[in-house]
Amino acid sequence: MRVKVYPGPFCSADALDEDGFIELQEGATVGDVLKAVKLPLPLKLMGLYMVNYKKAKQDTRLKDGDIISIIGPMAGG
Amino acid sequence: MKGYMGKVLLVDLTTKEIVEQKIEDEIYEKLLSGVGLGAYMLYNNIPKGADPLGPDNMLGFVSGLLTGTGSVMTGRWMAVCKSPITGGWGDANCGGTLSPAIKQCGYDGIFFKGISEKPVYLYVDSTGAELRDAAHVWGKDAVEAEETLGKESTGRKRPAIAVIGQAAEKLSLISGIVNDKGRIAARSGVGAVMGSKRLKAVVLVGSQSVKSDNPEAVKALSKEYSAKVKNANLPGIVKGNLLPIMSSLMSKGKTYSAGDGMMSAPMMKKWGTIFTNTFGMPNGDAPVKNWGGSVVDYNKSYYKNVNPDKIIKREEKKYYCYSCVIGCGGVCDIKDITKGEFTHTHKPEYETVNAFGALLMNKDLDSIFYINEILNRAGMDSISAGNTVAYAIECYENGILTKADTDGLELTWGNADAIVKLIKKMIAREGIGDVLADGVKQAVKRIGRGSDKYAMHAGGQEPGMHDGRMDPMMGLHFSADPTPGRHTIGSDTYYNYMQLWQYVSWAPKVKSRTPKAEQYIASEEGALKSVAGSCYKQLIDGIGGCIFAMITGAQHFRVFDYLNAATGWNKTPDEYMEIGRRMQTLRQMFNIREGIEPVSFKLHDRLAGVPPLKEGPNAGKTLPILDMMKGHWRAFGWDGDTGAPTSETITKLQLDKLIKEVV
Repeated sequence: MRVKVYPGPFCSADALDEDGFIELQEGATVGDVLKAVKLPLPLKLMGLYMVNYKKAKQDTRLKDGDIISIIGPMAGG
Repeated sequence: MKGYMGKVLLVDLTTKEIVEQKIEDEIYEKLLSGVGLGAYMLYNNIPKGADPLGPDNMLGFVSGLLTGTGSVMTGRWMAVCKSPITGGWGDANCGGTLSPAIKQCGYDGIFFKGISEKPVYLYVDSTGAELRDAAHVWGKDAVEAEETLGKESTGRKRPAIAVIGQAAEKLSLISGIVNDKGRIAARSGVGAVMGSKRLKAVVLVGSQSVKSDNPEAVKALSKEYSAKVKNANLPGIVKGNLLPIMSSLMSKGKTYSAGDGMMSAPMMKKWGTIFTNTFGMPNGDAPVKNWGGSVVDYNKSYYKNVNPDKIIKREEKKYYCYSCVIGCGGVCDIKDITKGEFTHTHKPEYETVNAFGALLMNKDLDSIFYINEILNRAGMDSISAGNTVAYAIECYENGILTKADTDGLELTWGNADAIVKLIKKMIAREGIGDVLADGVKQAVKRIGRGSDKYAMHAGGQEPGMHDGRMDPMMGLHFSADPTPGRHTIGSDTYYNYMQLWQYVSWAPKVKSRTPKAEQYIASEEGALKSVAGSCYKQLIDGIGGCIFAMITGAQHFRVFDYLNAATGWNKTPDEYMEIGRRMQTLRQMFNIREGIEPVSFKLHDRLAGVPPLKEGPNAGKTLPILDMMKGHWRAFGWDGDTGAPTSETITKLQLDKLIKEVV
């Protein structure tokens, strides 16, 4: 299956294609994605990520087309 | 008409004449409302060469096209005028409750020209509009005046009020217009223009509704966006001391990838903009010591004092601007800090905290709370004021100013007591305060002695608190926008998160693992990105949108779909971006007509890393700023050397048909 990952500024995008997608085995979890993008442990433990704009856990199972978004603070005003 | 009211109110303060003017549908379809309608009105009504503080200047209060339609994050109003700071196009915008009130009175905008003989305010309700005597509130600060005028409105509905404080009355060129007791449309010197007209306030009590072509579609878009924001939260264990750690991690990466702007919403919901107080330090976003220092100077022993947790400890309640679902605003208790002088203040924005914190090497948070309130009440722009104080301190530290010049103030880095006293003098225009009350460019004219090397500005406008040496496109927009020095136009970071390439055929995609080093090279692709950012920001300023929605991304804050649902125009994203290009080009044409050479807006050398900093996260970084500006102009269809829109572009955008005279 293929899922979209927004890695934010704290992760490695080496495992993603140029559009931010990653191929995963069926049954893969959020934790597999976080490991692939090397989210630093403190941020991983704090749960600073979402799946399809809903709260998720590391053992949340993914399905084809899911969107995994990782914290990305952005200064503005 | 759908989404807009189709008319504006024109008030001549000299003759006291008040008339309505119908606006043709074509104008909205070509320029939207907000800044676009403002540009149309001002270009056609302000004579070339008008004195910004004279009767020929026009000051507009303009709502957004989507305001009131049921869309979320679209409650901002725009002040528009010829700027007394830059001598060209001026605008500023603000949230709160004023934007819907303009439309509820039946207008998309209210425009003033002339000068009143005596102080007046405009009162508008369902029975009409009238100018009323404002002698009793002239001299009062913005909060006191709003309270007084609010009580005078006898209807059941609480009025929305925009008002000026003492700074604008005294024609400070860095003054703004205040609403909701301390929110301020601060930039471009819009307050001074209002003060010059002796217009103390605009008081609005309307009840008209705004119609949409497809209200159900508008509602569905709002529901979708609101649900995403509602779900985006930080776990309770995340505290402010994590922010500099995150910032350090962020600055280590050599590449970047497209981000999901919705993942910034949790920070905004928890802290508001002040999360950047410390998040902006290790990564080099937050300027230090008049843009000449770094986190090496304003190190942890300093910045721990502006930890956002310390600020929200004082937050008694959060609040939301009209139609907002993020809620970055708050009200803080400052009774003990001010020894009872004031009870509360709006939660200080990051811009204010940094302009009076790191920029001045000040670690006294209490002083920043106090300055926040006195600036809000006086209606003075905290960004410009902070930059101006930084200039004065650096002048003092280098012997250009002495105690004889400063009325005895010891203007050294971090001297909170002296900073507070200086701000009070600037508001009152007393002594050295009078010298500094109009911002750094005017101060250099008065002080001279080579002090321009310490005067940080672009085209006369002091820059917002985001460092172009860390985000080069921010520096480009400081220099290339018709309103220079503005941190809210665009940046590399905004672009990465906005995802415009999903919708706009010509907007370059941000690929995974793009080298950060490419941001420091003037390229055609970079220019297309900055132009896309500018065009999109114009749309935001046409609809009354909030940039904190803009930067969550176009896939979430679906501006193009919202516009089609509200208006029924059924335009493509490319067609809407052409409207943005038209709006921006008209603002640039305004500047050209006023004789401004756009290259003169190039930011101060120090801001471009000339010479580069020797230490800190931005050490060694220099922007090829002139090449970036020229590339940006060319990609806009403007002359790459002069920055003037070409006749071909003006014709293609049909601006020659919309305005009276192309110069």
